[in-house]
Amino acid sequence: MKTLVKLTALACLAMGANASAGTLEDVQKQGYLNCGVSTGLAGFSQKDEKGEWSGLDVDVCRGIAAAVFGDATKVKYKGLTAKERFTALQSGEVDVLSRNTTWTNTRDVSLGLNFAGVVYYDGTGFMVNKKLGVKTATELDGANACIQAGTSTELAISDYFRENKMSYKAVTFDTADQTRAGFESGRCDFLTSDQSQLYSLRIGLSDPSAAIVLPEVISKEPLGPVVRQGDDQWFNIVKWVVNASIEGEAQGVTSANVDEMKEKGKPANKRLLGVEGELGKNMGLSADWAYNIIKQVGNYSESFERNVGMDSPLKISRGLNAQWNKGGILYSPAMR
Amino acid sequence: MMSNNSNTASRQFVPTPAQPAPNMSAGFVAWVRDNLFSSISNSIITLIVIAFFVSVIPGIIDWAFISATWSGADQSACNKEGACWVFINAWSQQLFYGSYTDGELWRVNLCLILLALTVISSFTLPKSFRLKLSIPLFLVLPFICIAILDGRLLGLEYVDTDYWGGFSLNILMAAAAIIISFPFSFLWALGRRSQMPLARSISVILIEFFRGIPVLALFFMGSVMLPMFFSEGTNVDKLIRVWLVLIFFMSGYMAEVFRGGFQAVPKGQYEAADSVGLSYWQKTLLIILPQVIKVSMPNILATFVMLFKNTVFLLIIGIPEIVQTLQTALSNSNWLGGWAIEGYVFVFLIFWVCCFGMSLLASKIERDLDTDKRD
Repeated sequence: MKTLVKLTALACLAMGANASAGTLEDVQKQGYLNCGVSTGLAGFSQKDEKGEWSGLDVDVCRGIAAAVFGDATKVKYKGLTAKERFTALQSGEVDVLSRNTTWTNTRDVSLGLNFAGVVYYDGTGFMVNKKLGVKTATELDGANACIQAGTSTELAISDYFRENKMSYKAVTFDTADQTRAGFESGRCDFLTSDQSQLYSLRIGLSDPSAAIVLPEVISKEPLGPVVRQGDDQWFNIVKWVVNASIEGEAQGVTSANVDEMKEKGKPANKRLLGVEGELGKNMGLSADWAYNIIKQVGNYSESFERNVGMDSPLKISRGLNAQWNKGGILYSPAMR
Repeated sequence: MMSNNSNTASRQFVPTPAQPAPNMSAGFVAWVRDNLFSSISNSIITLIVIAFFVSVIPGIIDWAFISATWSGADQSACNKEGACWVFINAWSQQLFYGSYTDGELWRVNLCLILLALTVISSFTLPKSFRLKLSIPLFLVLPFICIAILDGRLLGLEYVDTDYWGGFSLNILMAAAAIIISFPFSFLWALGRRSQMPLARSISVILIEFFRGIPVLALFFMGSVMLPMFFSEGTNVDKLIRVWLVLIFFMSGYMAEVFRGGFQAVPKGQYEAADSVGLSYWQKTLLIILPQVIKVSMPNILATFVMLFKNTVFLLIIGIPEIVQTLQTALSNSNWLGGWAIEGYVFVFLIFWVCCFGMSLLASKIERDLDTDKRD
């Protein structure tokens, strides 16, 4: 053990320790953003056959790179497992963690981390066989539930059924694939998981249209990017990159019309896109930071539809993730 | 007389041509009787096994070949009745090379070829300098490969370890770990047999520590705990950390393999070396080590196969080796059709072929090294 630590310490010395200044400065110096993502979650962070990353979480990384470098491709993705994600961030292996991480009080307060906003409001939901004729989750009393073991879903569903004085019998599986197979073979009446995952599990069924996702969402799972505590400048940048893409949608600025808006848009558009005001400069970025995000990555709606929404195989509806004035709860603070 | 003569002639011994063996004791029928239906219980077992094969094999053949889809661009070409080999085909580069830069794949191939050449050289070179040459070759190989794959030292395009992956990573990680663990384990095994209390206790502690902890726990230690010991901003590459962990894990096992080898060398050899006045290291390196390697070879190869298969555990810390890559592929939203069976069958096959090949190689090496029993 001692030898191991010593040897690794030697190895680090050999590789040269670099003390960190501000994260922004470090990122600018290294010339790319180290972004921690999931090793694979459909629609959120996924690799394709060519090894290219895409997804809603990946778009946050691309947005930050666009804001910092003016080039959304200057990102190095690190696929992280759930267990090592926080260590990777704390140890500086990644500059930002954008890995479908639920914003909870414990994580925010006691891990030395800051959550920089919410990019997807998830929550535990239910998928049932259409033949059951169930319309709401309250009709599920006494049913068998397919659950993936070791997830926060287990706690959420047990709370929900106890609250509603209903009973259920849990049939637990190890992986998402097995859970789906269990549901398909009729081992249980409904499958419960995070809503975003329900949709991707549904696609894998031999007849996806035979299953429906119930409207109830029984727990809060707001997913967002995370940064190290103690570097407010970097925290602000990540926070406002998320806000800029939400605000872009609210203002109707898209990757297609962003050039036109920059020229002829309303004062609010011009402020967002850096023609007026000093939003970028105050954060240590160039004036056209938000222009680059929207031009290269798109606004929130474009990113959502492309990765998880109607233009993707997942076909997740906006639901809670619509703008505040369209039935959802997305709301960017004022961009001025 | 004539008749007498002919009688004598006919009395000469003419062997009756051999009759074919009765149907019941030779040929296919007899083989079946002897091996499959030699008793009532054997007959029952045979029938059950046949029934099992008849019920299972046509289904497997139908799934894997007849109803399977072999060509296409995406999963829409596949059906649920048969295997979707399109999935494997589309992801084959990722599964074998990971995300390694497209135009630079020759570097991975070069490393694999170098590895193969080194292995071959270790039992084809002339005996007089085989040991002297192949041991240094093995020991520098991992570093040469790292330099080739990384590229910076050689003026090639830099490829970050994040992009290394796939099955080639399994092979190279296993090889690099076992090669570097050789000197460590050799020293630990010597230390464990040593009369010096300090050397002995350090060796015993190291060996028992790394042998007593599951490799999964060690991986977590390498990926999650080790970074916490470093000062902030100091990063040792994750792959290097895991490589170190693998080396030490392997050293623990190999030290015990070597200890077995040391014990198998007859005491007379040690005494003979002492009596001609060789120093400790001369005795160990010139007299004992060659014999130890010879008797330990089967165990070394078995340990290597074990380590090679253990490299799939790297997936739990997110290293994109073949199974991790497969899981990534399965979670791509364009491939959500549930092609896990195809993927895992492919991984089974590729590992089985490699491990079977290694055991064939192992038995060849054993025969070559088995000089004792040769006349």
